[in-house]
Amino acid sequence: MEPQAYSLLELNGLVKNAVRNAFPETCWLRAEMSDVRVNLTSGHCYLEFIEKHLQSGQTVAKARGSIWAKVYRMLKPYFEGETGQLFTSGLKVLVKVAVDFHELYGFNLTVLDIDPAYTIGDMARRRTEIIRQLQEEGVYTLNKELDFPALPQRIAVITSPTAAGYEDFLNQLHHNNRGYRFYPKLFPAVMQGEKTEESVIAALERIYAHSEHFDVVAIIRGGGSTSDLNSFDSYALACHCAQFPLPIITGIGHERDDTVIDLVAHTRAKTPTAVAQLLVSAAEEAESNVAALQQQCAALTRQWLRAEETALRTAILKIPPLALHLLERHRNTLRFTAHRLPVLATNGLERKGNELKNLRDDLKNGTETLLKQKKNALELAGQFVRLASPEYILRQGYTLTLKNGRIVKQVSEISTGDELTTRFADGETRSRAL
Amino acid sequence: MAKKQETYNEALAKLQAIVTEIEQGELDVDVLSEKVAEASRLVKVCREKLFKADEEVKKILDNLEE
Repeated sequence: MEPQAYSLLELNGLVKNAVRNAFPETCWLRAEMSDVRVNLTSGHCYLEFIEKHLQSGQTVAKARGSIWAKVYRMLKPYFEGETGQLFTSGLKVLVKVAVDFHELYGFNLTVLDIDPAYTIGDMARRRTEIIRQLQEEGVYTLNKELDFPALPQRIAVITSPTAAGYEDFLNQLHHNNRGYRFYPKLFPAVMQGEKTEESVIAALERIYAHSEHFDVVAIIRGGGSTSDLNSFDSYALACHCAQFPLPIITGIGHERDDTVIDLVAHTRAKTPTAVAQLLVSAAEEAESNVAALQQQCAALTRQWLRAEETALRTAILKIPPLALHLLERHRNTLRFTAHRLPVLATNGLERKGNELKNLRDDLKNGTETLLKQKKNALELAGQFVRLASPEYILRQGYTLTLKNGRIVKQVSEISTGDELTTRFADGETRSRAL
Repeated sequence: MAKKQETYNEALAKLQAIVTEIEQGELDVDVLSEKVAEASRLVKVCREKLFKADEEVKKILDNLEE
């Protein structure tokens, strides 16, 4: 016997009835939205509801959902008005759904209503969780602790180049009243939707590679009252921002809440325009600081010069009395010396006189001694001369023989018959040689 | 001056240091006039950074990532 079998239509019809019986009323559903898309012609919104495992993040449940155009037209602005957040993928929502099973289209959750308070609460919870984690890791305040540059001129701008906010930012920056110079450099990034986190992180990494060429980073996005805040409540992005070596200024264009990025950034501004204003103010402050230093320098120098001038004038006034005093002292010395001069002169003369007398005595004594010595020598010489004289010798008994008046010194000079004269001390006698 | 121009921060720091020095008032009159001349130069450097387009910075940033 053939087992009883349903046609597919019959089976799906049974499932449809079972589902209807199980969920006769609508019910409330907590889930995360993903793959949210709107059919532009019909205006219907199609999406997936998912549930992720708390720890692993793995998708553990999934169901198709739809919001019919007439509901969506009301629901979307209501939700965005309440949360300040675009109705988009990644959000956790609390929705009232009708559970349907259709023979052809299968399981579907038709959204009828939404409770934005749940999403707000969830976002806040998530934000709190990220903040707690960053604090635990000790990175939460790192970017805020950086010194804001004295003159932030070189600005790395992360934004979508097509966004209106970027134009506003550049206008505000370049057309400042004082004519300060700024050097913005665009690092394009996707600023909306699921790619945001990844894209902004990539831009930060590109800036990091050139960080010595920049003073600050501006993360900006144009915006209405609602935006995709969800992408900026990201742990990974917040972690990058917090640890970035340059101060980050945010202007991601929303009114209601601060995202985690706003919280970890060095400075938070509401809009791109506000970021530009902030930078212009910083330049104004820099200018007035320089002006103040200049004035201070001038004032101190004037004061210094005045003090020096006073000191100089005082010194000049002191000179005449000092000079008079000095003159008086010299005059006194002079007078005193003059008084002492006769005495000193007399003393001097006396001393010189004594010296002279001593010299004269020395001269006299010296001369006498010398004369005496000379006289003795002379006497001695005289004696010697006397002893050697012929008279003396003749007196001793010697005689002198002369021939023809000349002294005969040798016998050979005498010939027989020669007349000789013999001289004695007391006279002469003549004789003839035999 | 032929030496490489200071950054804004460097110029500002030098300017502050000079003001402090003058404030302490232990400078010789010749040194003072030198310091005042240097201060004027630094003020000029700072103001030029604020108001004058720095082509070199522009060029660096334009050529970044190319």
